[in-house]
Amino acid sequence: MSSDFRRGPWGKDPRPPEIDQFMRAAQDRIRRTFGGRRFPAGWALVLIAVALWLATGIYQVNQDEVGVVQRFGKYSRTVKPGLNWKLPSGIEKVTKVGIQRIYQEEFGMRTLRAGVRTEYAPERQYEHESLMLTGDLNCALVPWVVRFRIGDPIRFLFRVRNVRDTLRHLSEATMRQVVGDHSLDEVLNKREIIADLAQKELQAALDQTESGLVITTIELGRTNVPEPVQPSFNEVNAAIQEKEKLIYEAQGSYNRVIPEARGQAEKVIQEAEGYAVDRVKSAEGDVARFLALYEEYVKAKEVTRRRLYLETMQSMLPRLGRKFVIDPDQKSVLPLLDLGKKGEQK
Amino acid sequence: MKHPVPLTIVGIVLLLAAAGSFYSVDETEQVVITQFGRPVGAPIREAGLHFKIPFIQTVNRFNKNILEWDGDPSQIPTLDKTFIWVDIFARWRIVDPLQFFLKVNNEAVAQAQLDAILNAATRNLIQAHHLIEAVRNSNRAMEIVAGPIREEAVPYVTTVTYGREKLTRMILENAQPKLQELGIQLVDVRIKRIMYIQDVQKKVFERMIAERNQIAEKYRSEGKGESQKIEGKMQRELKTIRAEAYRRSQEIQGKADAEAARIYAEAYGRDPEFYSFVKTLDLYKNLPEKEIEIVLGTESDLFKYLKQTNP
Repeated sequence: MSSDFRRGPWGKDPRPPEIDQFMRAAQDRIRRTFGGRRFPAGWALVLIAVALWLATGIYQVNQDEVGVVQRFGKYSRTVKPGLNWKLPSGIEKVTKVGIQRIYQEEFGMRTLRAGVRTEYAPERQYEHESLMLTGDLNCALVPWVVRFRIGDPIRFLFRVRNVRDTLRHLSEATMRQVVGDHSLDEVLNKREIIADLAQKELQAALDQTESGLVITTIELGRTNVPEPVQPSFNEVNAAIQEKEKLIYEAQGSYNRVIPEARGQAEKVIQEAEGYAVDRVKSAEGDVARFLALYEEYVKAKEVTRRRLYLETMQSMLPRLGRKFVIDPDQKSVLPLLDLGKKGEQK
Repeated sequence: MKHPVPLTIVGIVLLLAAAGSFYSVDETEQVVITQFGRPVGAPIREAGLHFKIPFIQTVNRFNKNILEWDGDPSQIPTLDKTFIWVDIFARWRIVDPLQFFLKVNNEAVAQAQLDAILNAATRNLIQAHHLIEAVRNSNRAMEIVAGPIREEAVPYVTTVTYGREKLTRMILENAQPKLQELGIQLVDVRIKRIMYIQDVQKKVFERMIAERNQIAEKYRSEGKGESQKIEGKMQRELKTIRAEAYRRSQEIQGKADAEAARIYAEAYGRDPEFYSFVKTLDLYKNLPEKEIEIVLGTESDLFKYLKQTNP
């Protein structure tokens, strides 16, 4: 076959002469062995049949498997991966069991095609598997996946008929038992705890059966309530949002109003302080001025008094309107006061 | 080769006899040997190659491993008159192949027997107990957000006396004696599925909806209450802040007024007459201009000289 590779797929068939020679030599040898004796075709057939029968003893065990060999139905040995030989068909039988592989069973959901974006079958289709009663006698949808491997190939093969069905039934029974002991709220919110418990229960049940299976994980899918009830659950979530929104809003207006009011209060107080300083200082100023004047007044009372009076009149009189000087004997002053005004009105 | 035909025939007969006298038994099998239809000897339970009399004795093979039984879901009322679907399954094995051969003969018949016996046992036990016994397994305290609303459709007994595991064991114990004589042993019986019948389910859904609406209401009013609380706190703090500021400012101003009054009194008290003289003059100076018309008597201080000089 290596010559094929060298030649490539397009070369002609230049069968090397050695092969022709070899073939001819082999034919010669066969003829010589059986000599000139008559060689019946029947015996040849028997020989071929025996050879073929012996060849049934050759088998290969893949890397992730073990082979369980039975002789006349009785367990004989477990063989490791590789090319192996057993007594031929009819005497020994080998069953290969993939003990390294992880298998999975899905409940209440099905993977249609696994991949980067795994596709799932619509869950409604499998509601009969996932619909269950909770401890508070409500209904919940609980889909889950059981991953397992074959821990003991001998038990797996010989102790239980139809291990897959047994696993499926036991898994449904134990999951329902665990969910049956939890409230709906717990089923919706504590999936890990439920998956853990279900795994323990299921493993115990499988061990009791001697099924040879080992559960690696149980994973709960999205637990939910049955479809007719779902809107009311969404309503609860909306109400929680609404509650938080109301609180945030109130908190917001508190945070807006209170610091402002504190600022205003500070302003009022500062203004009062300003008023106080102004009041006291101007009092002191007034007093200082008064006292300075008073000191001079005391020294020459009469003169100062007259001076003050006259100075005041001097500064005041020019700024005033009309002035009348009337003799105290003069009676009925009123007509006189009206004199000018009549003229102005004209 | 003088007698090729008789020799060949003898050979074939011998071969057949040899083939017929050996049989192998698989790890998953057990065998009852019959002679003209009647069992002979003890059943063979050991796997491997075994010998029998050819042509006369027949091999009857039965399973030795654990077999499954899956019941049909059936509609059963519980003690609290709730109708439910119960789907159970059981696992069993043939422990006495001889009895099994004599009384049952093959697996199909056995499955039918199991149907009859287990269905009856299940029905009896479910009917005699409250629904909760089949659902729950213990009385562990559950976390529930809202108090449950109960209607007549779903009577509610909350505590478990037996629980699911004991109930299924009772089914097993009830059925086992009848299966014993058939050579069958029940390994276990379990409830696979249990669910309300359609009508009850609808009512339960309604109840769940009502329950959730109640919870939603609770959250809404909690939200309103909480927001009112914050609003009230805000108003209180606002009033406190404003009143405190008012009090402080009045106090400060009052003190300043008092201080000013003290300063004035102390200074003006020295000569009240002079104070009122100066202050009055100040007042005159500050009279508004123009609009005021003044009438002065000739007797006044200002004009008294005017009069005196007059002849």
